[in-house]
Amino acid sequence: MVTIDWTLLSQYIISGVVIGLIYSLMAMGITFIYGIMRIINWSMGEFYMIGGYLQYIIITHFLGVENWYLGVLLSMVGVFLLGMVVQGLLIKPMFQGSVERRTEYATIVTISLGVLFTNVAVIGAGPFIYSPPGYYHGTRILTLPVSGTRFVAFIGTIVLLSLFYLFLKKTWWGRAFQGAAQNRMGIQTAGIDVFRLDQIAFGIGVALAAAAGALLAPEFYLHPRCGSIATMKGFEIIVIGGLGSIPGVLCAGLLLGLIESLGAVFLNPSFRDVYGFLFLLAILAIKPTGLFEERERVA
Amino acid sequence: MDLEKKTGTGRCELMGRKNNELLRTENLTKDFGKLRAVDNLSLSLEKGEIRGLIGPNGSGKTTVVNLITGVYRPTSGGVYFSGRRIDRLSPDNITHEGIMRTFQVARVFADMSVLENMLIPAFTQGTSRREARHRAEELLDFCLLGKLSNEPTRNLSGGQTMLLQIVRGFMRQPLKLYLLDEPFAGVHPAIKDVIINTIQKMNREEGVTFLIVSHELTTIRRLCSRISVLHGGGVISEGTMREVANDPRVIDSYLGG
Amino acid sequence: MKEISYTKITGFKWYSLSIAALLLLVALLPFSTGQYYLQVFTVAFYYVILASSWNLLAGYTGQFSLAHHAFAAIGGYTSALLVTNFGLPIWLGILAAPLSSALMGFILGMLCLRMRAIYLAIATWAFAESVRITISMTYEITRGDLGLAVPKIFPGIGQGVAYYYLFLGLAAMTVLVIMFIIRSRMGYYLRAIRNDEMVARVMGINTTRWKILAFMLSSGIAGIAGAFYGHYNGLLTPVMIDFNEMAFIVIMVVIGGIRSIAGPVIGAILIELLTETFREFGEIRMVVFALAVIAIARLYNEGAVGAVRQGAQWISRRKQAREGVN
Repeated sequence: MVTIDWTLLSQYIISGVVIGLIYSLMAMGITFIYGIMRIINWSMGEFYMIGGYLQYIIITHFLGVENWYLGVLLSMVGVFLLGMVVQGLLIKPMFQGSVERRTEYATIVTISLGVLFTNVAVIGAGPFIYSPPGYYHGTRILTLPVSGTRFVAFIGTIVLLSLFYLFLKKTWWGRAFQGAAQNRMGIQTAGIDVFRLDQIAFGIGVALAAAAGALLAPEFYLHPRCGSIATMKGFEIIVIGGLGSIPGVLCAGLLLGLIESLGAVFLNPSFRDVYGFLFLLAILAIKPTGLFEERERVA
Repeated sequence: MDLEKKTGTGRCELMGRKNNELLRTENLTKDFGKLRAVDNLSLSLEKGEIRGLIGPNGSGKTTVVNLITGVYRPTSGGVYFSGRRIDRLSPDNITHEGIMRTFQVARVFADMSVLENMLIPAFTQGTSRREARHRAEELLDFCLLGKLSNEPTRNLSGGQTMLLQIVRGFMRQPLKLYLLDEPFAGVHPAIKDVIINTIQKMNREEGVTFLIVSHELTTIRRLCSRISVLHGGGVISEGTMREVANDPRVIDSYLGG
Repeated sequence: MKEISYTKITGFKWYSLSIAALLLLVALLPFSTGQYYLQVFTVAFYYVILASSWNLLAGYTGQFSLAHHAFAAIGGYTSALLVTNFGLPIWLGILAAPLSSALMGFILGMLCLRMRAIYLAIATWAFAESVRITISMTYEITRGDLGLAVPKIFPGIGQGVAYYYLFLGLAAMTVLVIMFIIRSRMGYYLRAIRNDEMVARVMGINTTRWKILAFMLSSGIAGIAGAFYGHYNGLLTPVMIDFNEMAFIVIMVVIGGIRSIAGPVIGAILIELLTETFREFGEIRMVVFALAVIAIARLYNEGAVGAVRQGAQWISRRKQAREGVN
């Protein structure tokens, strides 16, 4: 009879759920971009990495660790602008008739973008591992110890997700995005510049990934290839949750965190990353469109 | 012009069918969730006829074509071709029965040349490359597309693409039934004439039966011996153009909607 | 990014030119270069096989799979493990390799049959990653990151020339097989499937059968290549199943010219040559390649092959004009 160490279990679960939620931020970006432009950005992990690097530079050279949240915001802004540029140069032409096979093009271009960013990072910052200082001292959730950084990153994620939710539901822009996701043609006939929407949506999407990177920078080492793990988690979440479904992303993120923690506790902790991945494979085999299916776009 | 080969008509008679019926749908119904697109539709086509299928927008015309050609599975009811049930077959198997169709928006293989597009339906039948090429060139010449045979299809105009789409179907031999979905929509009058000539010629010389979905009533009147009117997923009237045009139910459906 | 019809070029001249170039390569190389470049070309030929077989599935059939490197790895590890653990002779191991990789290709193809392009990319990526994780996790068998020692085909040192001709032969065979397929009816069907799968079905093509076949062929060929690579390199590591390898293949094919027979050949040799020649430039190489891919995809889809074609067309047009004047 296995005696369960509830303290340890809860610690693991909380920790896993926290991380899962933060990765949801990035998955949110992937799904958001997909909802508007129907493409998968394979370089999301690299935007995550850039966000992390920007945060590191900002808090170690300019603002200091106390202002880590400002750093996160500034990183998001920086990556948002970068995303808009990238979109305008590379993605927009897809919709203006000069590109013929869209999915193939988007995959080729975003994969190459990822390669580009990773190698530029090595050139620019060197193949070193950076570790920004923690954001907060260790603290407790419900009497359970949790790392300070994770704690505040968790808070930060909740804040960002809530802001994002409000943005989508309450602002004009947000409703425009929802409309575009449901009926792209209809939105255009309503007089909205879809291309402008695309560009901003892309910027927001990658900014969310950057936020995740900035928030998690002290927790997981910062190096040019740190984006690929993030990409993997992000993809796991969108497959489990379903592309194009925002609530699906949240649930899937929590679920992923839970599965990884449980696997680590009851099975082998060194294969932590594998459990989520196995779950992803199961979903792909059984219900490839995810637990929360996307709504078919009308036009 | 050597297009007068033995056709399906002869073979069908050999199968011992006295009656002349080629296609029949029986209580054909198709639901998309709560939406009933086709409702207990019963349609019967005779061999060798050119039937028009008209009706207001949303009456289910394209859905009927999709059901007959295996793109959709019926929710209930069946489709019978020469007495055999075909509604469970996949689209490629339906083609092997001798049924072809065109799409409302002309769909051709954009990266392939006009000639290559023509060859494909013949290849899937096992026709030799030489024979297929020969027939393709004949057909293309007849339709005045001959000069374009090596052009990539993306260089064609909209009307030419529609013409190609239509003429491609005739590569299949025997072609027993051809379903054309809005073949005249947005097509230049000169090309429209070529399409009409081709339909009539194929009907006359090779015994191809046609079901033509269209909004262009004048053209339909010119081409079709009988017309079926669709509304709300069912046939509300059938007959010659004059009979149908004077049918109060038809007038209602077009005006009342 | 306008795609011009790829069916047209002054046929005979083009092919005889390229075959002549190839013969030149074959004849001169081992005599004019040292062991180092011999090895570079050997590896380049390995990538020619991978690039060509991936192009068959992704370029021609339109199934943009991101699992190709995984099939090479499956083939490689299958052969290596059979030979080292069960004492099979090398040629038997190499024969077994495509069986396992084609089987996996079959399974993957069946899973992806009804998937739209986006899900296909994700599913194949997930498949490749699971193979990678499996290899890492079963390190007791596969030796994981330490690398699996593999018996060589030509044991001993100084066998560079033998391996060179071996891989050259394999690459040539692969290209010929693929050329044969593309020009056959199967080639028409695959291209039709890529262009418009629904219309392909309506034209009578059994798209299921041909897609699966394309999957199996491309994964089988990749498996053979992987097996040969293992028995050439003497060592197999999970590096070959890193996502970077897949990116590499994509880069080679796009730069060389997707949807052409010569494209993957040119791309693989060119990129491998550049990678080795400019080794001291480190990461800049990949930056340049990535930019080149982006530029080509964005501006001029046809890649190197397209450029050569356009050049040839331009030359022949000039010639015609000049002759017209006379």
